[in-house]
Amino acid sequence: MSDDVHRMSEELANDPGSRVFVPLGEALRLQGQRDLALKITLRGLERHPHLADAHDLLARVYADGGDLERAFDEWDMVLRLSAGHLGALKGMGFICFHRERFGDAERYLSAAAASDPDDAQVASALGHVRTAHHEVARAHEASAPNAERHDSRYLFVDVLPDEGQTALLLDREGLVLAGAYVGADGDDLAQEVGAELSGVTDEARRTTRHLSLGDWTSLVFETEVAVVAMAPAAGDGLLVLATSRATPLGLVRRLLQRCAERARGWLEGTR
Amino acid sequence: MHSPFTDMLNTVARVRGVTAALVVSEQDGIIVDANVQIGQPGDRVAALAASLYRKARLAARAASLGDVTFMQLEAPGGRLCAVGGGGLVLVVVAAALVNVGLVRVELLRASADLASLAEGRR
Repeated sequence: MSDDVHRMSEELANDPGSRVFVPLGEALRLQGQRDLALKITLRGLERHPHLADAHDLLARVYADGGDLERAFDEWDMVLRLSAGHLGALKGMGFICFHRERFGDAERYLSAAAASDPDDAQVASALGHVRTAHHEVARAHEASAPNAERHDSRYLFVDVLPDEGQTALLLDREGLVLAGAYVGADGDDLAQEVGAELSGVTDEARRTTRHLSLGDWTSLVFETEVAVVAMAPAAGDGLLVLATSRATPLGLVRRLLQRCAERARGWLEGTR
Repeated sequence: MHSPFTDMLNTVARVRGVTAALVVSEQDGIIVDANVQIGQPGDRVAALAASLYRKARLAARAASLGDVTFMQLEAPGGRLCAVGGGGLVLVVVAAALVNVGLVRVELLRASADLASLAEGRR
């Protein structure tokens, strides 16, 4: 192994633009030389910012150091550069499992299992995630007040635990299917907000199609008091998430994904 | 030709991944000034972006969310970001992999000047 490291180090020294920094960084990571692996990977990424395997390596280096937030971001980047990247799917599945986001974990690991059905490690992890997911869902079902269990207004309550975060699921006519939007005076303004915002999506659809960008995937606007994020939902529906102005945009995107997953599951269950 | 918006547009257009930067009238979608790469449909971008921004602004206000300070539309083939001020909209079209954080910072920085430049234009 150290011979390989030596050889690859020389190769990199002779050709700083070489992609050998990826196997070199991986070898150093496996040897426990995390700081050196990090340095070499970051330097390599300066020359190859769109190299998915390099971002994957960086994610693993961060994960080794316990920095799961950065690891997640890097794997997120990997999937943008290389959709279906097995390492990234496994990594994101692991982090979601670690954070008890079992639905997300199951989604990532299922995609990983579909990509490599012979990977016993993925199959085993997926089994664990599904078991944990079922247990948590059963516990939540048992502990939720009766009204919450059957009232669609509470659909996103446990997905959006912080005060000032709220989500709505609208049908194609802009009518509220689930969720709530509580105003400053405590009134539920879901129907009014939904009706106003759903009109924007026709414009979004028109814009991306005319500009040949593909179907829109999200529309976010920051206002003086809130950040509003919208995404298309099944059946030409619309998911609207509103958070406080202080919520970082990266977190808003994650919350939107979680709400979309919840809405998808709920819509499938109500069919 | 150097307009009051040229420096602002050049700054935004320098961000890697940005393919077009335009100052557009929010009301009618007419281009006031633009820095657009060859092949980008400037007029169409301007009209659609202005209309989308206007609709978002009116909807946010009607929903008691206040004025829109930044808007971002995402699609697999790219992003469209916008800020407004003084009846004008500063629009950016960018590749999907653009550093959107950087675009946002540049746009928010520019939006402070947008309204004052619009005043000077009247």
